[in-house]
Amino acid sequence: MTWQSFFDFSTMSHRHLIFVYAGIWLIQGAYLGWIAWNWSHTKGSRH
Amino acid sequence: MEQRTPTLRSVAWLWFGITIAVLVVGFRQAIFLVPTEATMGNVQRIFYYHLPHAVLGLIFPYVNFIASLAYLFWRRRDPLKALTADALAVAAAEVTVLFVGIGLLSGMLWAKPAWGIWWAWDARLTTYLLLWLLYVSYLLLRRYSPSGQTGTFGAVLSVFAAIDVPIVYMSIQWWRTQHPAPVFGPNGGGIDPSFVPAVLWNMAGWAMWGVLILLFRFALERRRQLAEQEAALVAIEASLEIPQ
Repeated sequence: MTWQSFFDFSTMSHRHLIFVYAGIWLIQGAYLGWIAWNWSHTKGSRH
Repeated sequence: MEQRTPTLRSVAWLWFGITIAVLVVGFRQAIFLVPTEATMGNVQRIFYYHLPHAVLGLIFPYVNFIASLAYLFWRRRDPLKALTADALAVAAAEVTVLFVGIGLLSGMLWAKPAWGIWWAWDARLTTYLLLWLLYVSYLLLRRYSPSGQTGTFGAVLSVFAAIDVPIVYMSIQWWRTQHPAPVFGPNGGGIDPSFVPAVLWNMAGWAMWGVLILLFRFALERRRQLAEQEAALVAIEASLEIPQ
């Protein structure tokens, strides 16, 4: 498989393949981002 | 503590860097290097992301289960240790919802082109959906239960929720299902050796990612708990001050 065939949206199989790969990176990245945002907005302990 | 924090931060960044590198290698293996599967074609490559999420979605519930048992054990004996266990339990429950949710979504996106249907109410899919619902209900229970009892309510539900994990695991052996029979393990059908590197790299990468977000979420929950404790102490000190 090549980058060109990876980004081939012509068939349902190819579309679903890219939805899974892109979607998983997006969801996992968003969750990590949400934790990081909350981390930076929660005051750390002084001790 | 002040010396430990920069060291932990360096280890976390190093872990993050190695995880991303392993995931990039896994992606390259799965998309560009592994040969195309003969029956399903390129859509079979979903397997290399679906499998790690589905497997890890059955491991994180046990982290939640063990942390919940530790909470129940310590809640009267050592409340500070119990709070730490509770933080780990909530982190593991959230990560479970994330991984099981992705396992369900990626499975559905694979099922449509492979089986011609999005969903089948077979034993594996149904018990796996129930697992996701159980941990969503765990998080909702914690969100809306009265403060002071949140940890206990959650821990008790967690003990029952964990029972579903072995049922999910055994479902494809106990019942004939639409979902394929096990690939790995003693009764597994096995896979072509040329697919193994992609499976292993992605298993390793997503496991490392899972550990990273579990520990980061745990650290965030601890930070919240400590901030709440400090705020409570400040309020008590203020109430004890004698007016001049």
